[in-house]
Amino acid sequence: MTTSAPIAAPTMGFRRLIGAYLSDARFESLRLLRTPAFSIPILAMPILFYTFFGVLLNNKVSPAIANQMFVGWTVYGVMGPGLFGFGILVAVERNMGLLTFKRALPMPTGSYLAAKLMMAYAFALVVMTMLVVAAVTMGHVDLTPLKLITVAAVMSLGVIPACAIGLFIGSWAPASSAGAFANIIYLGMAFLSGLFFPLSGVLRTIRPIWPTYHLAQVARAAAGLPVDGSVASHLAVLMVTSAVLILLAARRLARVG
Amino acid sequence: MRGDQMTAETSVKQRALARLSDVRKRYGQTVALDGFNLTVRSGELLAVLGPNGAGKSTAIALMLGLQRPDAGVAELFGQSPHDLGARRGVGVMMQEVSLPDALRVGELITMTRAYYPDPLTLTETLSLAGVEKIAGRPYAKLSGGQKRQAQFALSICGRPRLLFLDEPTTGLDVTARETMWATLRSLVAGGTAIVLTTHYIEEAQALADRVVVMSKGRQLAEGTVDEMRALVVRKRIACVTRLGAGAISAWPQVASAECDLAHRTTITTTDAEAVVRRLLAEDPTLADLEVRRAGLSEAFAELTQEPAQ
Repeated sequence: MTTSAPIAAPTMGFRRLIGAYLSDARFESLRLLRTPAFSIPILAMPILFYTFFGVLLNNKVSPAIANQMFVGWTVYGVMGPGLFGFGILVAVERNMGLLTFKRALPMPTGSYLAAKLMMAYAFALVVMTMLVVAAVTMGHVDLTPLKLITVAAVMSLGVIPACAIGLFIGSWAPASSAGAFANIIYLGMAFLSGLFFPLSGVLRTIRPIWPTYHLAQVARAAAGLPVDGSVASHLAVLMVTSAVLILLAARRLARVG
Repeated sequence: MRGDQMTAETSVKQRALARLSDVRKRYGQTVALDGFNLTVRSGELLAVLGPNGAGKSTAIALMLGLQRPDAGVAELFGQSPHDLGARRGVGVMMQEVSLPDALRVGELITMTRAYYPDPLTLTETLSLAGVEKIAGRPYAKLSGGQKRQAQFALSICGRPRLLFLDEPTTGLDVTARETMWATLRSLVAGGTAIVLTTHYIEEAQALADRVVVMSKGRQLAEGTVDEMRALVVRKRIACVTRLGAGAISAWPQVASAECDLAHRTTITTTDAEAVVRRLLAEDPTLADLEVRRAGLSEAFAELTQEPAQ
């Protein structure tokens, strides 16, 4: 006769549990830092673009324009780590069986996504720091240090919708095309929401469909620049969009792994 | 006192660590498991054999909670396999998985150890898996066999009570395979239960306490290696004879007869005694006579009606 009564599960202390989350986040960041195909575009491109387009080609603009350009580039910079960290990596890791392997292990619930979120925050923090230093030293902005720090802090919220969009791409797109989708959406949203230059006509009218537009409005408010509509409505759009995309992605991942 | 102790030991020995009860699973029109039952008991090494598409991987995926059965029940340590606490007693080595290329073997082990409440130390893991020499190497720089060894290290680092190994020795050289076999034997001796799927019949024959043979989503046979072999009534006769293999294969009790390049004839038969008598009667010069029972390989082939690899 073989018994089948529940066998006491080994318990995991709180410290070990937190340690597991931090360990996952540490190794996720470490491996991406060691992957130049990911780390160089994510860390270097925003500061290079900002320096070239925002500083060198526009070195005689007024502080008001310089402030707007700085805000636009912070939105661009902060979106990259989440969008690519989730968009490409989730798709690739699904394809290589890593996601299935992690699900078979006793990895704490949510640790896989939490590690990527923390990685995205860490990378976004580096990007923001570089942009703030460039803005202060070369960018002709007239924002006070407090305003700059406020923009950076508020912009960190932008990691969440970026991760949500990335997760949605990563859960649906094949590994071979996830990078292309992420790039198209990243650049498309950046241009079509008017981050880099003013839009007119129908493109201006449809700006509100892009999450980056709403994030930019929140950033403008943090910088003390004029805002379309209320900040609360922009935050609400960002939260609802993120929640819907995360739910759709979670359903997809639960079904197909 | 001694009786109580034995009862307790027997109870522990027979405790079901994982169980599939009458599970059914379909992928579209394909039936992967069709009323399949399986129990994994503590301290045993269970080999699951079957041809490709038999349902071995699906059975393991259900026990690990990676998929849900369409019908029937999957249990891990008496709980749902989706319970995180249940999976903390499990180690896994999967067949088709690529680990993060940029991390070193030691880092991968450290990352995996963090998921378990009472893991082995990094040094213990490296030593037990025999991977000390590659601990500092990035996963991308490893050979195919070294990658399997690294995956094996991850599977044992959490001090699991139940270990699932899917084709663990594929791609290993002889030395690495023997190291892994020795580790598996020591783990079983220490009380770890192991579920092993393999295409290498000799591996099951060398390691398994119990064998389950699957085909088309069902269990064909189950028992010890000796019991499996006993299920098969065929025996093999080998000898050097001047009689032709073609002529022998026409004898009524003979299933097949072949002559190799060394002029040694191998005969498979269900009635070895009758065939041996006739061989000796018809060929007084017959030499090097050998009769043996079917091995697990023949048992597997006969049970599944497919050639074993």
